[in-house]
Amino acid sequence: MDALASSLSAPPRLTRDLNEDGDDAGSSAEWGSQGGFGNLHSGFVGGMTVPRTPDPAAFLNLHTDSMSSNPQAKIKLAHGTTTLAFRFKGGIIVAVDSRATAGSYIASGTVKKVIEINPYLLGTMAGGAADCQYWETYLGMQCRLHELRNKERISVAAASKILSNIVYQYKGMGLSMGTMICGWDKTGPALFYVDSEGQRLKGDLFSVGSGSTFAYGVLDQGYKFDLTDEEAQDLGRRSICAAGHRDAFSGNTINLYHVKEHGWDFIGNYDLSETWYEYTQKEKGDKMTRVEAPSPMAVEA
Amino acid sequence: MAMHAERSAALHELTSAPIQHAFNPYEDNGGTILAIAGKDFSVIAGDTRQSQGYSIQTRYARKVWQLTDRAVLATNGFAADGNNFVKKVKQRLEWYEHAHHKQMPLKSIARMIQTILYGKRFFPYYVYNILGGIEEDGTGAVYSYDPVGTYERESCRAAGAAQSILQPFLDNQIYFKNQTPEPGAEPFIPGNLPLSTVLALVVDSFTSATERHIEVGDGLEVYVVMKKGRPTDDLVGEGKLAPGMAVEELDALGEGDGEKTFLVTRSLKRD
Amino acid sequence: MFLTRSEYDRGVNTFSPEGRLFQVEYAMEAIKLGSTTVGITTPEGTVLAVEKRVPSPLLESSSIEKIMEIDAHIGCAMSGLTADARTMVDHARVTSQMHAFTYDESIGVESCTQAVCDLALRFGESVEDDDALMSRPFGVALLIAGIDEKGPQLYHTDPSGTFVRYDAKAIGSGSDAAQQSLQDAFHKQMTLVEAHTLALKVLKQVMEEKLDENNVQLAQVTREHGFEILGETELKQVIEGIPA
Repeated sequence: MDALASSLSAPPRLTRDLNEDGDDAGSSAEWGSQGGFGNLHSGFVGGMTVPRTPDPAAFLNLHTDSMSSNPQAKIKLAHGTTTLAFRFKGGIIVAVDSRATAGSYIASGTVKKVIEINPYLLGTMAGGAADCQYWETYLGMQCRLHELRNKERISVAAASKILSNIVYQYKGMGLSMGTMICGWDKTGPALFYVDSEGQRLKGDLFSVGSGSTFAYGVLDQGYKFDLTDEEAQDLGRRSICAAGHRDAFSGNTINLYHVKEHGWDFIGNYDLSETWYEYTQKEKGDKMTRVEAPSPMAVEA
Repeated sequence: MAMHAERSAALHELTSAPIQHAFNPYEDNGGTILAIAGKDFSVIAGDTRQSQGYSIQTRYARKVWQLTDRAVLATNGFAADGNNFVKKVKQRLEWYEHAHHKQMPLKSIARMIQTILYGKRFFPYYVYNILGGIEEDGTGAVYSYDPVGTYERESCRAAGAAQSILQPFLDNQIYFKNQTPEPGAEPFIPGNLPLSTVLALVVDSFTSATERHIEVGDGLEVYVVMKKGRPTDDLVGEGKLAPGMAVEELDALGEGDGEKTFLVTRSLKRD
Repeated sequence: MFLTRSEYDRGVNTFSPEGRLFQVEYAMEAIKLGSTTVGITTPEGTVLAVEKRVPSPLLESSSIEKIMEIDAHIGCAMSGLTADARTMVDHARVTSQMHAFTYDESIGVESCTQAVCDLALRFGESVEDDDALMSRPFGVALLIAGIDEKGPQLYHTDPSGTFVRYDAKAIGSGSDAAQQSLQDAFHKQMTLVEAHTLALKVLKQVMEEKLDENNVQLAQVTREHGFEILGETELKQVIEGIPA
């Protein structure tokens, strides 16, 4: 009977079909004290403009290269990446490159792929740059509200789940996001991988993006939980350096962060080519001028 | 009858072939935009040609827009989307002024543009935006965007048809990429060039792009936004502009806090 | 005032022939039953003080929450039906955060107050798709204290959705006497410490119980530290400084 009823009823109608451009001045709430929050408080799909086609995802895929599957699309969105994060006794190391590509053109070499959600939470950016930037900023807002309502900082697990739940609502619509949420809460340093497919994993070590295989290579052979702060920072830097060297979609500079008990510290921005030169010179045993003192060889012991 | 049957069979053959129907609301209207930030000024420029394929639709279509007394927005890509987008941004700026009794600061416009663009994440504006202006601390700023709202503050940015011609040139001249200072000379500091140098770079960028890119040309509009209290004689002074260039000061849009916006125009080759 | 009690008492959104909305006026009366709340603006920042009524020695006084944080730079104190204030405060918090998200700047104190007041008249029958309306007006008044580029500010909101800016304001059961004392003692160049003392002094005058660190709460919003509720030791210090 249910089957019969459903076969006779109208095809499932997407509520979003009815949604006109979220910014139209139709509703009174648009210009009052809520002016411009249209796509926020209604939340999720309801507030977003969707083309009136039978298959909005196919429309998006035809015109944009958001899933990296349609390189000849007109609308080129920034992506391509190597990001990594790992947990060790001194906290969490987060290291990323800074290259954004649109097709084979390097759209930017100065992208901030570590998103500072708040003073004790970091998110990384891989996949669609806008998806990560927008939703992780949005996550920052939700974390602050949690703090105000509960008089307590949000746990990394809860924060990552908020993000995961948001992107899951859009599953199949063309979002592209692979991120690591890193922070320190009551349980100590915590690291979660969240992606736009709905996956959410707790773990000690992740690398995401086109250059991740290269980064894993260096990371896995040098990783152990008992690294010192200097060793860990250098391992992160060295892994991104290797990926940037072999993956054409990654490169330019390395951004390095260290999450500690009091929150995160920005360690530095390093030119990838110069860093590579320094590492290779060191391996050849040549004399070299290094700015930092720590020995990069220690991790290979 | 036989003939009819034959014809209908032929017709059937014609129509039974798969035809792809796609909703294609986008067009590339060419042109190029560019912005460079200085210490206490910001320069935002665009050519005025608008084309469709190989034909020129108009030799004067505006791509650079004064938003507030300290913000100028350049749009590039699909002109219809661009114009509509600017209209929406201006509407939001007006609402903000009514609700909060002040002009929207540059960084706020920058963030708002992200949210408007991302609001159409599933039906994007085919627009590349560059926002230039003066921050609340008086520094010159440039923000660049992708069509769905990724944004970043930079010292300079080129977008549009001639992006791949201009950006490497700017990297070299503004960021001093692949340049080495002479031994003993001061190290390069990006974002510190004088206005006259920046203006010359902008004009050279567009004349060069016009020479090598068919979608660039006709006219050049350069908006210069200056921090309040900054002397203006290096722009409006006698003989400061190259021949063929004209400059006018634009009226303040708001209360007139002291920031100044100038429009420098020049013609580009029309072939 | 209540002699004209009539049919018009009942409908929450029906004007009386004299042009009054009785339910809104009654809601304002509810505030006069609430505990006394005081706010004072100084050039250094704004101070909020509330009386916490502790009717029983078995009541855990720290569980009474009458001053709440809206954002790092805005706080509010309430008088009346405090449960109603939770809806308003949450709306203010969400609006402040949405503003920060959309404009990458903290919300202005006046704009935040306006947002709270926009809620005030959303009672009665729902119109079109206007969702989540309330059945009656709020029975609470707020003192919203904050700091922004315009400096330290204090706003008073009432159930009619009106908001007014004050240098110093008292609401609640003892408000008439308290407002008079504020008027006599307030001056524009008051220091923050003087404002602390004045706020508690005024409360002390109108409170039935003897004022101590368990039955008052003191908060401030300053440029340096934003919103903060004063801790027990700081509070004790201020109480000791009140002239007898």
